[in-house]
Amino acid sequence: MTRQPTESDSVWETSAQHFERWRDGDQGAMDELVHLLSPVLWQVVRACGLDRETSEDVVQTTWLALVRSADGIAEARAVSGWLCTTARREAWRVAKQGTRQTPEADDILDRHLPEEPAPEQQVVLDDENARLWDCLKQLPERCQRLLRIVAATPRPDYTVLANDLGMPVGSIGPTRGRCLEKLRVELVRSGGLA
Amino acid sequence: MNESPQLDDEVLLEAISRLWRQVDPPPADLAHGVLARLAAEDLELELLTLVETSDALAGVRSAETIEDADELTSTFLEYVGPDLRVYVHLSAFDDGTRLDGWVVPASPLTVTLRDDQGTTLQQTSVDQHGRFAFARAASGVVRLTFADEPPTTARPRATPPFHV
Repeated sequence: MTRQPTESDSVWETSAQHFERWRDGDQGAMDELVHLLSPVLWQVVRACGLDRETSEDVVQTTWLALVRSADGIAEARAVSGWLCTTARREAWRVAKQGTRQTPEADDILDRHLPEEPAPEQQVVLDDENARLWDCLKQLPERCQRLLRIVAATPRPDYTVLANDLGMPVGSIGPTRGRCLEKLRVELVRSGGLA
Repeated sequence: MNESPQLDDEVLLEAISRLWRQVDPPPADLAHGVLARLAAEDLELELLTLVETSDALAGVRSAETIEDADELTSTFLEYVGPDLRVYVHLSAFDDGTRLDGWVVPASPLTVTLRDDQGTTLQQTSVDQHGRFAFARAASGVVRLTFADEPPTTARPRATPPFHV
């Protein structure tokens, strides 16, 4: 099945080009890469349930890790996935040090996807987003959390995400699918996207 | 599956991603903070950690500054490193910002105010009591670095970037 390239596709593509230029000695390319992907990493880290201040720190730590271990990334196209995975694992590591985690929780997904942090301030959403937000809020919390982190993750990073969540690669798909199906039902019910 | 294209999984996930970008946007200076941290790494600076911050609006000022009728806002910042603690007080006036600092323990240091690219803007020294000041601090995103005077092989200490 073919699909239209999404906004994200071009981001991953451009990231690979910046990364290659930086490895060839163009310092400015790192600036561009940082500006391009830091907002993406922000969403990945926030989806792990960290507060804003800690999230900023984790995003910085992630970039330091990239600069220190850039040689370990053989394929430039892997850079965005590498950054997202590093950011997510660092976020979980930091979150585990906090008190929010319940170590005896036996559901690895629940442990990895803590309570959705409420947006800091009330933002005014455009019509489409307002309706999507209302529909998302109708889903079970577990679905909301899973969809947020999956949506924030580049597709090439998908297998790693499944592993990190302790779900078989073949199982995150159906779980994601069920959550998206519930969302579709809500969207249709709310009167649009039919 | 014969859903309409609008309901395609990837399109939905893209919409969710867009939603979260609007609901929970990153801080405006996120990338700047990253670049400053990378630059500090390049300069081999020892990064100090911000441990305390407070803003006081005019009218709820501390007793210390209440005499200053022209002062508009006041900010306190406290940083710690392995071998020193730095207190910074920013006082915004109509015509600029005054930066007062105090280093504990007091030791001979060169204090440099840099922009977020690492360029030197202003420089002064810590006095025998550990005090230093920039009467009119350069505005914008800046950071302070502290180098031993006379220079040693120890890495200069640097605050993360803050806004004047």
